[in-house]
Amino acid sequence: MPSTAGDELPEAAARRLRPGAWSSGLSVADFASCLDMGMDPVGYVQGYAVLQWSWFMGTGGMGMGMGGLGGGWAGTPQRRGQYVEQWQCPHGFVSAEHRMYGANYELTWIEESWATGWGLATGRMLDEAKALGASGIVGVVDEMRPLFGGTVEFRASGTAVAVPDAPRPANPFSTYLCGQRLGKLIEAGFAPVSVVATLSAVRMLGSCVTHYQLAGTNVGTWYGPAAGGVSGVGPVDQVNRAEAAARSLARERVRGQLGADILHGATLESSEREIGEGDLSIQCTLKGTRVRRFKDFDPLPDALPVVRLT
Amino acid sequence: MTIRDEVRSAVRALSAPSPAEAEGSGKRAGTGGTTSDLTIDETLLLHSAGWEPVDLVYGISWWSIPWGAWQWTTGEVQEASGAFAGAIAQAERQLRESCERAGASGVLGVEVGIRVSSHHVSIELTGTAVRRVEADAHRFEFVSDLSARDFALLTRAGWWPLGIAAGASFVVAPRRSAREWASQQGQNVELPNLTQALYLARERAMERMQRSGSAMKAEGIVAVKLREGRASSSVRVIQFVAIGTGVHLRTGEHRSVSPEMVVPLDDLVRGFDVKSLRSAGGE
Repeated sequence: MPSTAGDELPEAAARRLRPGAWSSGLSVADFASCLDMGMDPVGYVQGYAVLQWSWFMGTGGMGMGMGGLGGGWAGTPQRRGQYVEQWQCPHGFVSAEHRMYGANYELTWIEESWATGWGLATGRMLDEAKALGASGIVGVVDEMRPLFGGTVEFRASGTAVAVPDAPRPANPFSTYLCGQRLGKLIEAGFAPVSVVATLSAVRMLGSCVTHYQLAGTNVGTWYGPAAGGVSGVGPVDQVNRAEAAARSLARERVRGQLGADILHGATLESSEREIGEGDLSIQCTLKGTRVRRFKDFDPLPDALPVVRLT
Repeated sequence: MTIRDEVRSAVRALSAPSPAEAEGSGKRAGTGGTTSDLTIDETLLLHSAGWEPVDLVYGISWWSIPWGAWQWTTGEVQEASGAFAGAIAQAERQLRESCERAGASGVLGVEVGIRVSSHHVSIELTGTAVRRVEADAHRFEFVSDLSARDFALLTRAGWWPLGIAAGASFVVAPRRSAREWASQQGQNVELPNLTQALYLARERAMERMQRSGSAMKAEGIVAVKLREGRASSSVRVIQFVAIGTGVHLRTGEHRSVSPEMVVPLDDLVRGFDVKSLRSAGGE
């Protein structure tokens, strides 16, 4: 099994990829469309990686009372440039059930694990495409899913295509698009470069004020403005900051992979998982196709409004 | 130039160094290019109308609802309705600030995510910031949940989007009296307490949406989406949410787009030369 892109393929894979009947993951309509564009399918290529996975690793500092930041919690961010924000209790010490600290911080170990799994799966898919002499991979589908206890599977698949009479790029291109949508992209002057994806993860250890807000107990003067908190209806600032940070990290990381190119057809998905009373783990994925302009843009004329009589 | 020639040109371009590599700039992370969640159709249509995508932007806001707001009451839950109004205003403000930071003039195709639980309301807005292709300076003009296609059609008709107009109301329906409950057993009859709660929620939500439209000086609200029914937090809580795009007439009068009628003659099945398959994997 190759450990990184560029390694040799397993013997069985090399045997399977020898000339013969090719395979394709395209629908018949997309298949016909690719042939029209001069893209010949050469193989249904795939890449897999199974990783050990735990969402709850390194969750130190989640206790109540005066522990946490002052107590040297295991989740303390260590790296330069890593997102971290801290909140202090405005009340003074109350009880062992009252959290005196709050923190939002980036979970780099989750981000790195995800990037490793996704990179291995897509790298292996590209290796297969290279072995087939393909120019690129169209109709890429990727996902991460639990396999069994404590493990996850990353998978990437797509149809490798060859473009006769064109030089083969050093690295085959890859795109989530296929069929007519890919045709329109190219006609519009954009060449697909590669699929791009990232995951950002932020953990929010709620301060006492955030705990009260999320539990709806932020009522009365003790918890309210007089004590530095928010009484009744109001924004949950710590959660809002964590949610915005997760999205911002994902967007900036993808931007960092684009260079001067463009991210087309982006999908931004986020989810929250409650990991304890008033504590959240927020993940955000951003995916799309990196495209490069290869010819001057020729704007379309004004679209003609029509009513279809069907 | 045929599509085959275009594809060959595109692949040839990928064999050359990327523009950033060619300049030897080693472009720094975070200073990269455009991000957009528009489809290629939408991108092309926007270009034809003189606009281009700039950046993927978002706004998200959680607002808290205090404990007990839903209990021991009937009628509207002011705290929940207020939390919704505050959250959507804050999320839209963030969207606008992101748009301005990106040097764009508006945000299109905003997807609206709404979650209501016992103790909080969260609103998530995600869209693509756009700007005029030819303009040197860009000032903020609009936020809209209209698609690029709807935007192009709307502006061609002389109308302009302004912002997202929204209103929500959460109403706890009163319990039936014992006599009402007994008299309604075994019959398919209207339950007036629930119908009235739905009407109350509807009136309040629609009124708030129209008021927010007026506040942005909109003449009307288009593409209104309604979300109504039982709120998840209680069996007797009725929710009604109305969201649309506030628009105003920019050209003085409505311009008819006069669509042409067409009868598509294309066949659903496309033919291709089976022999061309042989050229792919070699003989």
